[in-house]
Amino acid sequence: MNDQPRRLYIFTGKGGVGKTTLSKAFVRKLVEQEHEAIYLTFKNQSLGETHQGNAEAIVDGIKEVHLDLEDSARGYIDKKLNSKILASWIVKTPFFRALVNMVPGFNYLIYLGKILQMGHDNPRLIVVLDAPASGHALTMVEATTNFKQIFESGIIFDDATKMLSRLNDPAYTKIHVVSLPSPMSWQESIELKSGLKERTPVSIEISVNNSIYSLLSEQLAELPEALKEKALNEKKLIEENASEMRCVFPHSLALDSKSIEMDLLGSVSKLI
Amino acid sequence: MAITTKSFEIFCGTGGVGKTTLATSRALSLAGENRVLLVTIDPAKRLKDLLGLRSEDMGEVTRITFEGIELDALLMSPEKTITRMAASYNTPDLASNRIIKVLSRPYGGMNEILSLVEVQMQFDSGKYDVIVLDTPPGAHFLDFLESLGKIRSFFDQNFVEIFNYLGQKTANAGKKVFSFNIINKVISGGVKKLLSYLQKVTGAQFIDDFIQAIQIIYQSKEAFLKGLSLQDRLKEKSQCNWFLVTSVEQGKPQEAIELRSHASHFIHEDHYLVLNKCLENELRDWSPTDNKLKNFKSSLEQRESLLKTKLRESFPEVLEFPEVTSISPKDHIQHLTQNWKKHASQS
Repeated sequence: MNDQPRRLYIFTGKGGVGKTTLSKAFVRKLVEQEHEAIYLTFKNQSLGETHQGNAEAIVDGIKEVHLDLEDSARGYIDKKLNSKILASWIVKTPFFRALVNMVPGFNYLIYLGKILQMGHDNPRLIVVLDAPASGHALTMVEATTNFKQIFESGIIFDDATKMLSRLNDPAYTKIHVVSLPSPMSWQESIELKSGLKERTPVSIEISVNNSIYSLLSEQLAELPEALKEKALNEKKLIEENASEMRCVFPHSLALDSKSIEMDLLGSVSKLI
Repeated sequence: MAITTKSFEIFCGTGGVGKTTLATSRALSLAGENRVLLVTIDPAKRLKDLLGLRSEDMGEVTRITFEGIELDALLMSPEKTITRMAASYNTPDLASNRIIKVLSRPYGGMNEILSLVEVQMQFDSGKYDVIVLDTPPGAHFLDFLESLGKIRSFFDQNFVEIFNYLGQKTANAGKKVFSFNIINKVISGGVKKLLSYLQKVTGAQFIDDFIQAIQIIYQSKEAFLKGLSLQDRLKEKSQCNWFLVTSVEQGKPQEAIELRSHASHFIHEDHYLVLNKCLENELRDWSPTDNKLKNFKSSLEQRESLLKTKLRESFPEVLEFPEVTSISPKDHIQHLTQNWKKHASQS
């Protein structure tokens, strides 16, 4: 393991590809290697009427953080204006709510600001972000650039500039696109990767999850027709695109997500 | 139960479950007897190629032909929709404001609201019997519909009055669009304070541009409100079918159930859970002898049956589509189209 871990790992890809399980297994691996790593995800996309609050929990020895938008916004403004009372007031005003909810991507700016602040407060912290599905990952990465252009000056401009330099620092951030071994999913992952590449210079790697071929490569002939064909398609895809794939994770026989996570543990260290 | 064809057919679901492909095949299955428009957000290149859509077609209604079936398709482009709105409502500022421009980039985040506005504009054209809408991925679209009430309140006079007041207060906010006379002093006092704090964070120029953007959006309120009024139609059982799509592969019944409960006062009884990529038929007649394969079979069967049990408990109707592994996407679409026809004729 020559690679020094990055400070921020973003796992993205379409829903149902196993991002959550994979990112949790990855955190577990980092913790095993005595890094201070946490699993982080976003609770909500807009400032709603019900305020859920940031939540932190230790689940099976792994620290999970679920960020709430309103709490994150309040924390951000508090830091900037140095007043909890003002911050609480501002996030409750209709103007601010309109601003955040009407200006798409503002939510991600707030969340990313919070994540980078956490990284700043604790220089040893490694954040593993279970990011929203594809299109939204692009919105998220684009948010900082958009906001630099929207706010031409002021604290948010300065912060967006700072965030951008962190997000775009290959030594700080790494993006993992998770794909299924189907042609459609692969194609979408390639498109997502190139979309992300246009927006950030950090390393972006695609891994393939849930491969039947990789689980049963010796026994394909014994599978029923549709599954055999599926596995053969996987084989073809994996062989043709091997150079573009960071990892291929086999289909897990486990039934619950915790056991699937444990199945992945053996091979996730490649993602560091 | 047969599925009745409605004016609006909405496909929701997280990405990667075959939502766009299912919406496309549904549109094709209806196209023979109806004038159909398929509105889709961001299909994979393979599907675009298959339907003969080119990148240049983005944002324009395009006639496509698939195996002899003709229908119109529209790949959403937020930028083009904004331009169309500006033209048809004669509000050129809409297409020129700096903030609106940045936000209407493909990933700027205005996909949801603009797809509603677009569907409404297309429906008003009277050219279509059925519009099939493939929504942006995730729970986001339903979250978004849920929040429509809040957006509607944006266009309430009181709210906009504040922005107009701010517009007058900020030096170079551009032309004043509306004039309202009475501003509540308490509100304005609070707003002044808020502004002075916010300017520290956002910079003064942003406040000006944002206020201008809001005024411009307000000018185009007719278009937005019409788009929003679409939600009333979608609530009508006679006007709309909802399809919540998930897949066996994805194995997340909870997500589909939450998706629906999120929108419980929105979705009427004509909603279908579409379960894609079912393996049940395939596995039934397979009797492997090897232990690893036995485990494999039983894990797949258990996962699928757990999933179906949960879904059937929560949805009035579950439509099953089998896993289709034929490598040709063309065959895949045809197969799904046939399946829709089968579902439509079942009674």
